[in-house]
Amino acid sequence: MRGRSTDWLLAMAGGALLALMINYNSLLAKHTTPVFASWVAHGLGAVAAFALVVLYSRLFRSPGKEMEPQRAKVPLWFYLGGIPGTLTVILAAVTVNSGLSLSGTIALMLLGQVLFGLVSDYFGLFRTPKRRIVATDFLVALCILSGSALIIFGRA
Amino acid sequence: MIAYILLAFFNGTVIGTSRAINGRLGAEIGSVKASLWNHLIGFLFLTPALLLLGGWKFEVIPEAPASAYIGGFFGALFVAVNSYVFPRLGAMNASLLVISGQMISAVLLDYRNQGVAPTVTRCLGVVIVLFGVYLTRAAKNPRVKDKSQ
Repeated sequence: MRGRSTDWLLAMAGGALLALMINYNSLLAKHTTPVFASWVAHGLGAVAAFALVVLYSRLFRSPGKEMEPQRAKVPLWFYLGGIPGTLTVILAAVTVNSGLSLSGTIALMLLGQVLFGLVSDYFGLFRTPKRRIVATDFLVALCILSGSALIIFGRA
Repeated sequence: MIAYILLAFFNGTVIGTSRAINGRLGAEIGSVKASLWNHLIGFLFLTPALLLLGGWKFEVIPEAPASAYIGGFFGALFVAVNSYVFPRLGAMNASLLVISGQMISAVLLDYRNQGVAPTVTRCLGVVIVLFGVYLTRAAKNPRVKDKSQ
C-alpha cells in the first residue's frame, strides 16, 4: 500500500520533471529548431543518464549481485524506445506549425496518450501487464483531461 | 486540418509507445539504464534525421542562454522515473498522473517565467485535475483486488 503511494507521488514528480524538460528544451528550440534542440537534449541527456547509472550503481548496487544472466534474454526492440521518443519531437514540430498551434497540439497529444494507455492496459501491449478497466478510470480520465484542457486553453 | 488533428492525436500514442517500451526495458535492466538507452538510441536516430532534414544549427548555439542546455538533464531524470512507475501503475494511470504533474507544473512555471498570476480558468483546471488525482486514490481498493486475480 505504501509502495503504491510512492509510485503515485513519483509519477506526479515525473510530470514536473517533464514540464521542466519541455520548458528548457523549448528555450533551446526557440534559438535553433525543434529537431536540433531535441538532438542536443538527447546527447546531453545521455551524458546525464550515464552519470546517473554510475552514481546509482555506486550507491545502491552491492558488487556481488549482477543481472548478467537475465540480460541475455532481453529482446532487441526493448532497447528501441528512444526512436518513437524522437519521432514525437518531429511530429510535434509539424503540428505546432499548423492551425492547431501549441495548445491544440498538446491537448490532442494528451488525449492520444490516455487512450493509448487505456488500450495498452486492456490488451497488455508491448508485453506490459494487463489491467482491467473500471468505471472510475473513465471518470478520472475525464477530470484530468478536462482540467488539463482548461489549463492549456485558459491562458490570459 | 483533420489530418493535423489525427497526426497530433497519433503523436500521443507514439509517446505512449515510447514510454511503454522504456518501462518494459526498465523492468529488465533497471530504469536508470533504460533512460541511458533511450537517450543514446534517440541521439543516434536523430543524427541522420537531422542530416536529411538539413537542420544543423551549430552557428546559433552560442546565442542560446546556458539554461537552455539543462533540459537534457531533466529528460534523463524523467525517463528514469517514468520507466520505474510505468509497469507498476499501468499505462493509463501512469500517463494520467504524469499529465497531472506536468500540467500543474506548467501553470507554476508560466507564473515564474511571466510573473503574472494564473487566470481563474487555469486555477479551476488545476482543481479539477487534482480532483481526478484524488479519485485515482479513492479507486485504489478495487484495483488492488484486480491485481491479485
